[in-house]
Amino acid sequence: MAGSMSLTLSFVATFSLVICFAVSLFQMRYFFSKYESVIGNHFLLSMVQLISCLFSFLILIYVFLTSNFDFQIVYSNSHTEKPFLYKLSGTWGNHEGSLLMWILILTIFNFFYAISNSSDIKLRNKIIANQSFLILGFLSFCLLMSSPFILLKEDVSQGLGLNPILQDPLLAIHPPVLYVGYVGFSLVFSFAIAGMLNNKVDKEWASALKPWILIAWIFLTLGIALGSFWAYYELGWGGFWFWDPVENASLMPWLSATALLHCIIVLEKRDTLQSWTILLSILTFSLSLIGTFLVRSGILNSVHTFASDPGRGLFILLFLAIVLLFSFSLFASKGGTMEKPSSFRVISRESGILVNNWLLLTILFIVFLGTIYPLFIDLILEKSLTVGPQYYVMTIAPIVFLLLIFMTITPLVGWAEGSINQALAKIKYSLIFSLTLAFAISLYFDLFSITQVIILFLSFSLIVTTFFSGIKFSKNNFFIKSILGKTLSHAGFGLFIFSVIANATYSEEKIYDAKVKDILELQNHQFMFEKVNQVEGENYNSIQAVFSLLEDNKAVKQFTPEIRFYDNPPTVTSETSIVHGLFSDMYIVMNVPQYQDSISVRIHVKPFMNFIWLGVFMIIVGGLFSIIYRIKS
Amino acid sequence: MTKAVKNRLIKILLSLLILIVAVLIIILNLRDNIVYFYTPTELSQMEISEKKIMRVGGLVKKDSINNDGSKNFSFIITDKVNEINVIFQGILPNLFAEEKGVVVEGSYVRETLFRADKVLAKHDENYMPPEVINALKDDGKWQGQ
Repeated sequence: MAGSMSLTLSFVATFSLVICFAVSLFQMRYFFSKYESVIGNHFLLSMVQLISCLFSFLILIYVFLTSNFDFQIVYSNSHTEKPFLYKLSGTWGNHEGSLLMWILILTIFNFFYAISNSSDIKLRNKIIANQSFLILGFLSFCLLMSSPFILLKEDVSQGLGLNPILQDPLLAIHPPVLYVGYVGFSLVFSFAIAGMLNNKVDKEWASALKPWILIAWIFLTLGIALGSFWAYYELGWGGFWFWDPVENASLMPWLSATALLHCIIVLEKRDTLQSWTILLSILTFSLSLIGTFLVRSGILNSVHTFASDPGRGLFILLFLAIVLLFSFSLFASKGGTMEKPSSFRVISRESGILVNNWLLLTILFIVFLGTIYPLFIDLILEKSLTVGPQYYVMTIAPIVFLLLIFMTITPLVGWAEGSINQALAKIKYSLIFSLTLAFAISLYFDLFSITQVIILFLSFSLIVTTFFSGIKFSKNNFFIKSILGKTLSHAGFGLFIFSVIANATYSEEKIYDAKVKDILELQNHQFMFEKVNQVEGENYNSIQAVFSLLEDNKAVKQFTPEIRFYDNPPTVTSETSIVHGLFSDMYIVMNVPQYQDSISVRIHVKPFMNFIWLGVFMIIVGGLFSIIYRIKS
Repeated sequence: MTKAVKNRLIKILLSLLILIVAVLIIILNLRDNIVYFYTPTELSQMEISEKKIMRVGGLVKKDSINNDGSKNFSFIITDKVNEINVIFQGILPNLFAEEKGVVVEGSYVRETLFRADKVLAKHDENYMPPEVINALKDDGKWQGQ
C-alpha cells in the first residue's frame, strides 16, 4: 500500500489542478457580452492558473526525482539507477506527464498574455476566456482519463525503466521545446476566435498577434530541428529526415504557421486578407492538435507513442472535433464579413506573399495526404501500406523551385502595385553572379544534373539577393535592423535548400567486414580499425570499437562507435560515432558482433551537414531578431 | 458579360486548371510510391511479380538465420502457417533475433526467394509490428495479451 506521504502528495497535486479547473471555468464568463467590457483582475487569476499547474507539475517532478514507486507513472517509466537528467525527463517522457506539461505551457502562455500591454479590453477578455476554455478542456482530459497522480495498489521496490533509446540529453529537451511551439499556437487560435467574436480584425489586432506567432514559430522550428538532429546521430540510419508520420505531424503545423507568419504582415501593413489570416490561425492550431493526436494516440507506431489506449486517442479526437466545429461555424458566419476590400494589383508584394502562402499550403497538402492516406486505407480496407519517401521528394521538389523564385523576387516588388522588371533590374548583378557560381560549381564537381544546377542557382540567388538588400554599405547603418530578421531567415532557407541538395548528391555509405588493423577506404578517406574496448557506463555495459581517420598515415581523428547493453529494460542500442568536419561529416556505426574476428561496420560520408544545421540555425535566429526588434521599437 | 466578370471567370478557370493538374500529379506520384505490406500467407495466395517493392512481416523462424561469416545473411520469415526465404546484405538492426517480429522491405528475385533491401529497425525488444500481431491473430497463432 502507498504510504501516507504519497497519498498526501497525490491528493494535493490533484486538488491543485481542480483549483485551476475552477478558475478557468470562472474566466470563461468573458465569453458572455455582459462581462466583455469588465476590467477583471487578469494578473491575479492567470497567476493562480499558472501557479496551481506549476505546483502540481513540480510535485510530479519531485516524485520522479525521489523515485517514488507508489505512483503508477513513476513505476512504469523510471528506475532508481537512472541518471538524474533522465529521471527528470522521465516526467514528461510518458503520456500523462506530457499532457500535464501541455496544460502547464497553456497556463504559461495565458499568464504572459495577461500581463502584456493591450489597450483593447474586449479583445483581451475574449482571448483569456478562450485560453481558459482550452485549459479547461485539457484539464478535464487529464483529471478524468489520464491523471499522472494515480497510486499503485501493490508495493513495488523497483521501476520498469525508460526505453534507453530515449535516454539522450537532446531528447530530454526536444518535447518541451516542441510543445511550447504547439501550445503557442493556442494563443494564436484564441486571437482568431476573439477577433471574430468582436468583429474586429484589423491592423492593431495583427500587430498584437504577430509577436506571439513569432514566438510559437521559433519554438516549433527549434523543436523540429532538435528532433531531426537527434534522429541523425542516434538512429544511425545516416539521414536527418525520414518522412516518418511522426515527423510529418510536426512539419504540418510548421508549414501552416510559416504561411501565417507572412500573411499577418500583409494584414498589419495593408489591412487586407482578414479571412485568410483567420483561417490560417485556426488551421495552424488544429494541425498542432492533430499532431498531438497522431503522435500520442498510438495510431502511428513509433518511439513517440506512449498510449495505445484507444479511449485517450478518442478524447483528443473529440476535443479536436469540438474545436474545429466551433471555430469553423464561427468562421462561416463571420469570416466573410471581416474581409476588407483588397486594392492590390496582380503584380505586387501582396500577390507574391499570397502565392508563397499557396505554395506552402500545397506542400502541406502533400504531406497531409501522404501521412493520412495509409491510416485511411487501413481503416476502410484493412490493408497495410506505407508511402515511400520518393513520393515526397518528387512532389515537393518542384514546389521548392517556385518557392525560391518567389522568395527572391517578392521582397523587391512594391506593395499594392509593383513591377517585376524593376525588381529584376535591382538584382541583375546578383543573378548573374549566382548563375556563374552555380555553373562553376557544377563544372568543377562534374556531377550535377540540370535540375540540380537550377536549384543551385535559385538557392544562391536567394542568398545573395537577400543579403544585398539587407545590408547597406554606409558608415552608420550597416544593417537595416527592421529587415535583419527576414534577411537571416530567408538566406538561411536558401542555404538549407542548397545544402540538402548537395548532401543528397554527395553522401556515400559502405558496409565493411572489419578485422582489427584493417584499413577501410571511402571517398579518399582512410579509416584504421584500431581495437575493441569494453566500457562500463552509468547504467549499461558496452562494446566499443575504435577507428581512426588517417591522413598521411597519421591518425588525426578518432571514432568510437558502441553497442550498449542496458539491463532495465533489457535493451541493446548502437551508438553512432560522428566526426563533424567543416565541409563533411564522417560517421561510423557498428553491428552487434557476430564473430570473434570481424565486425560489420557502416561508414558514412555526409557532406554539408554543418551547413544544413547552419541554415536552420539562421532561420531560427532570424525569427529571434524580428522579435527583439519588435519589442525594442 | 462585362469585362470584370469575364476577367474573374478567366482567373477562376485558370486557378481551377492549375489546381486539378497539381492534384493529379500528386495523386499519381502517391500511387507510384505506395508500398504494400503482406504476410507470408497472403503472399502464398498471390501471384508473385518480381521487381515490385513490398514489405513482408512475420516472425524470424527458429534456427533459420545463416551468415556467411561476413555481411550476407539469409533467414526465414514465418507466420506459423507459411514461410518465405529472405536474403539480406548489410547491417541487421540490433534487435533482430529468432522468434522475434520483423518487417523487411524489398522484392522477389525469383518465386521462392525474397531479397530484403531494408530490415526495419525496431525500438524495443517487446515491439512487434501491428501487422504481424494482426496476422498472427487472424491465423489463431497469437500468444500475447
